[in-house]
Amino acid sequence: MKIRKSKKNVPVRQAETKQKKGVSQWSIAWRRFKKNKAALAGLVIIGAIVFMAIFSPLIARYPLNYLASLKEEGKIRMPPSARYIFGTDYVGRDVFSQIVYGAGNVLYVGFGAAAIAMSLAIVIGLISGYIGGIVDNLLMRITEIFLVIPFLLILLVFLKVATTLAPSGVGGLSTVTLMIGLFSWAANARIIRGEVLRVKQNEYIEASMSLGASKWRIMFRHVLPNVLHVVIVLTTLQIATAILVEAAVSFLGFGDPNSITWGQQLQGASEAVKEAWWEGVFPGLFITLLVLGFSLLGNGLRDALDPRLRE
Amino acid sequence: MSIKRKVLHFFPTRVAHAVQSPLAKYVLRRLLYLIPLFFGILILVFVATRLAGDPVKLMTGLNPRITAEARERLTQYYGLDQPLYYQFAKFLWELFQGNLGNSYALRGGTPVTTLIGDYAWETFKLQLAALFFSLVIAIPIGVMSARRQYSKLDVSVTTTSLVGTCIPIFYMGIVTILIFSYFLGWFPYGQAHSLEPSRYPFGSYTLDELWHLALPTAVLTFATLAPVVLLVRSSMLEILRQDYILAARASGLSERTVVYKHALRNALIPVVTYVGLYFGGMLAGAPITETVFNWPGVGRLYVEATAKLDFPLIMGITVFITLMVLVANLITDITYAYIDPRIRIE
Repeated sequence: MKIRKSKKNVPVRQAETKQKKGVSQWSIAWRRFKKNKAALAGLVIIGAIVFMAIFSPLIARYPLNYLASLKEEGKIRMPPSARYIFGTDYVGRDVFSQIVYGAGNVLYVGFGAAAIAMSLAIVIGLISGYIGGIVDNLLMRITEIFLVIPFLLILLVFLKVATTLAPSGVGGLSTVTLMIGLFSWAANARIIRGEVLRVKQNEYIEASMSLGASKWRIMFRHVLPNVLHVVIVLTTLQIATAILVEAAVSFLGFGDPNSITWGQQLQGASEAVKEAWWEGVFPGLFITLLVLGFSLLGNGLRDALDPRLRE
Repeated sequence: MSIKRKVLHFFPTRVAHAVQSPLAKYVLRRLLYLIPLFFGILILVFVATRLAGDPVKLMTGLNPRITAEARERLTQYYGLDQPLYYQFAKFLWELFQGNLGNSYALRGGTPVTTLIGDYAWETFKLQLAALFFSLVIAIPIGVMSARRQYSKLDVSVTTTSLVGTCIPIFYMGIVTILIFSYFLGWFPYGQAHSLEPSRYPFGSYTLDELWHLALPTAVLTFATLAPVVLLVRSSMLEILRQDYILAARASGLSERTVVYKHALRNALIPVVTYVGLYFGGMLAGAPITETVFNWPGVGRLYVEATAKLDFPLIMGITVFITLMVLVANLITDITYAYIDPRIRIE
């Protein structure tokens, strides 16, 4: 009897959950996302590069920083050949292998900086939009400082500080990530604030207030889930921006010299573009591809998640 | 008729409206807010530079013959042994007298104001050319793209723009140099002028200048182009859906008049904001483009100053850039309120 009962219950419960899932926002979004070929292409690009980063020791043809062509043939900057498919660089490292090893670092900076920037943006956007008044005024003035000033230049000064002050045990790449994150929240905070202002008008917020819910509860339990679709899109695009900024900073010589990233490779290449074009062209191609992947994904998500665009 | 009214008489009513007191009040309020902002940024960068390292150590590190005593004297000479608040007060005092100090490293202690004066012009030239070309190209493309939404033209324009925003500008610079300078040899690489007058094309200084300007302008134009195209397109799409466009069409106006007279004027409002903000950031230069092309501009100067810990130069350029950005912002706000009748200054 007992067994039969439970057997009977299971399908019913499943059917219920299935029905619920059938109408959820996320499954609608996923259904729309699947139709968007450009967004799927973006996802494939990102997937491929993540795969490359995870299995880098298997994919790369030489060990990390191994001076392949210098040790084996006594030459540096060798053109692409069957042996070194993307050629070798200024100290004789295989460009392809270095790109593979760099993938993990590039993704680390992208995701890390975006996580920092978005956490700040969410907290500031929520507080500013929901509480309003003087707090809003003050926070938005601070946000404006970060929006108005050409931040790349100031970022350089702060990167210099970070590399001077960071204890040697802390990875240089983490410092770079932190700095990029701390300088790129402002625009996102402002957009999230705008969304919060919109969500705040809804009746369910008023209902929650009249039930006596605290400000913080309303902010994080009711407002945040309803601006989440914007947050997801902004995060994706922020990853793309962070990757571009890291590449730029490394190119200018303010990155972490001890970690290999595609921007670092381009910096080394820039001294001899004429003699060894392969040294810079391939890493740059990978930066463009990855950034394009995140941009396509972000735009696809925006179309899929926007509740105003319903079929 | 008072003088004020006589003057106002010559302007269209909207200008006359804006010049009267609410605007003055608005400007004053913005200024009151901009002043603390300006000093806030200065303090931030000042403290950051002092934490960034010891320039004396950097300068003398490679020279084994310099004694500790000499280093100390150099530190004293630069005033770096003083407490931080004293250094900042001294910096402010000199700033009010229009003195930004002397550079540590560049051209043997040249005044920072002279350096900025020399480099700013090159940056300005490059940026203005890029801005001009990107607007001239982007606006028609954006409008055409919006008029035929989802057509083949529109799809290829949006795709190209999207890819354009994904290419790192220094990468584009390197590839451009590679193709047009090294492989084809059409354009010179780096610097704003040829070193010897004998190299001038047809012996003309102006032609030489333009010849050097071509590649960096092209790269910078392409970089600024993509966002402007997307902006014009989305803004135009929004406007074309408005009721007054329908009304204009219904009243039998030609498509040309509707699009270029009624729609475009309104669609350009966000572009004005963009240009305004760009204008401010403009003198900050495009540090990356300038570095790639070895262009003697403010952006590259700043990158070099930061790498060398040239404190007076870093602070000087920061003052310069911040002032430019804030003034440009103020002007944008005012223009915005003036061209968009929906915004009224209370």
